[in-house]
Amino acid sequence: MSDPMRLRWRLFVIPPLLVSFVLFVAPQVAFLRGSFFRNLGFGQVGPDLTLENYVRFVTDGFYQAALARTAGLSLAAALLALLLGFPIAYRLARARTRWRSFWLTLLIASSLITVVIKALGMMILLSAHGPVNLALQALGVPGAPLPLLNNEVGVLAGLVHYILPLVVLTLFGVIQTIPESLEAASRSLGATGWRTVRRVVLPLALPGLVAAGLMGFNLAMGAFTSTALLGGGRVLTLPVLIQRKAVLEGDYPFAATLALVLVLSGVVVNLIVLRSVARPRHLAVAGAGS
Amino acid sequence: MRLGRLAVAAIVILGYGFVLAPLVLVLVASLAGGQTHYVVFPPTSLSFEWYLRLPVAYLRPALTSVAVALGACLVSMVLGVLAAFGLVRGRLPGRNLLRAYFNAPLQIPFVVTGIVFLQFYYALYGLVGVRVLGSVWGLLGVHVFITLPYMIGTVGAVLERFDPSLEEAALTLGASRWSTLRRVTLPVIKPGIIAGALYAFVVSFGDVPASMFVVSEQTMTLPVRLFYAVEFDYTPALLALCSVVVVLSLALIFGMQRVLGLDLVLRGRTGA
Repeated sequence: MSDPMRLRWRLFVIPPLLVSFVLFVAPQVAFLRGSFFRNLGFGQVGPDLTLENYVRFVTDGFYQAALARTAGLSLAAALLALLLGFPIAYRLARARTRWRSFWLTLLIASSLITVVIKALGMMILLSAHGPVNLALQALGVPGAPLPLLNNEVGVLAGLVHYILPLVVLTLFGVIQTIPESLEAASRSLGATGWRTVRRVVLPLALPGLVAAGLMGFNLAMGAFTSTALLGGGRVLTLPVLIQRKAVLEGDYPFAATLALVLVLSGVVVNLIVLRSVARPRHLAVAGAGS
Repeated sequence: MRLGRLAVAAIVILGYGFVLAPLVLVLVASLAGGQTHYVVFPPTSLSFEWYLRLPVAYLRPALTSVAVALGACLVSMVLGVLAAFGLVRGRLPGRNLLRAYFNAPLQIPFVVTGIVFLQFYYALYGLVGVRVLGSVWGLLGVHVFITLPYMIGTVGAVLERFDPSLEEAALTLGASRWSTLRRVTLPVIKPGIIAGALYAFVVSFGDVPASMFVVSEQTMTLPVRLFYAVEFDYTPALLALCSVVVVLSLALIFGMQRVLGLDLVLRGRTGA
């Protein structure tokens, strides 16, 4: 391609760049800047730069507990999704039926349907008279029906439900790139099926597992809708608290503080995991949660 | 070996069961007859009565949602195609950084995005006197913001695989720039645009946390209305309404998979 042509193509970036600057950089900067001012209520902030919002976060155990709860639930959800998701993705990647695209599309569809409806279904599933509790009672589990809603159990179920399809789809793409002939070779050399998975498939899929796990973690960290509904306002994670601070108390500076803490702690976890486990190429760690 | 296979099969069934159960339960519970103020499960009698009583109050939110989703689709399409061409064809230095920049909206929790826009719209009113908060335009801004990465991602993906010598061949054979664009380039990138539009539409149509801060009573979107209804005033008719949305969503996505192929639909999900 000639150079003037390339230059002309470059000009194409300008309009989207301008629009996203107006919609993205300017408002975000203004919002985060607000966290360094004192809240005077009614959307007003004090004139002087101050760190008192951050001091409030550091000195009030309530908010640190919320951060720990958010990170803990997200971590648990990511691990559960990997545990369930890996066998599913493996099975899909190795299946040769024409049904495979049907099952994959089903996952895509379920990940795209609005979270509110899925949370409503989850409420039916986990309610006192729902299928899960009916099954538990039939099995004679002591204490059944168990409270599975408006607590951490319900929130965790919602988070896993939210990220599982996306984790499976990511892992599927990774496992598909591992040649099946490697497994055949391993087996023909006498390795058992489990040993082949552990020594051949898992090491090769490790970068993908890390990427998928982090994507799930990031989505869970930002999850609001399902947590608000399944936690019944009793499980206060940072996204839920951020919404409350802004809407109920009109405390935008502190909401901004919590938002910055949420995003930064997510980034820190990602960096730690990436440093300590592996350095996957083309890491598309995406996802922020709805 | 056999035990391992059995375990895998069990996890696959459990996993799919878990993913699909909430959707299936909404569909099944919507068929429960009788006047109730809570979910009856399993249904004691089957009927379509709630489908005949779809709440009219949701008609306007549904229309708002569709209109905003289509609008966001269209704006994202224009901006996304421009950005993808610039990024891929322009071979900009540091374009990976630029890609990350365009993808950044997906790295911020949507609840934060919502509050940021709320404050931004307040400021806009204060500074210029333009009132966008609570209007469809304000909603559109938010939705363009959260859908653009998907569009850039899918169009960029097809453009990367596009062989520019096809265009050169058309030009050498005497085609004008315009007809080259229309007859060669557009047909090739069309699947990317359609896949991007699909993602843009469903992401926009389903969003709660980014929208809930900038809507007013008049511009409430369907998911936001449903969110408040599930939280505060549940009626069985909601299940019928949700079932309609589920069935339409499934039809849309399976239809798209038929038209575009799985590969492209899979590609879109992580954005730019």
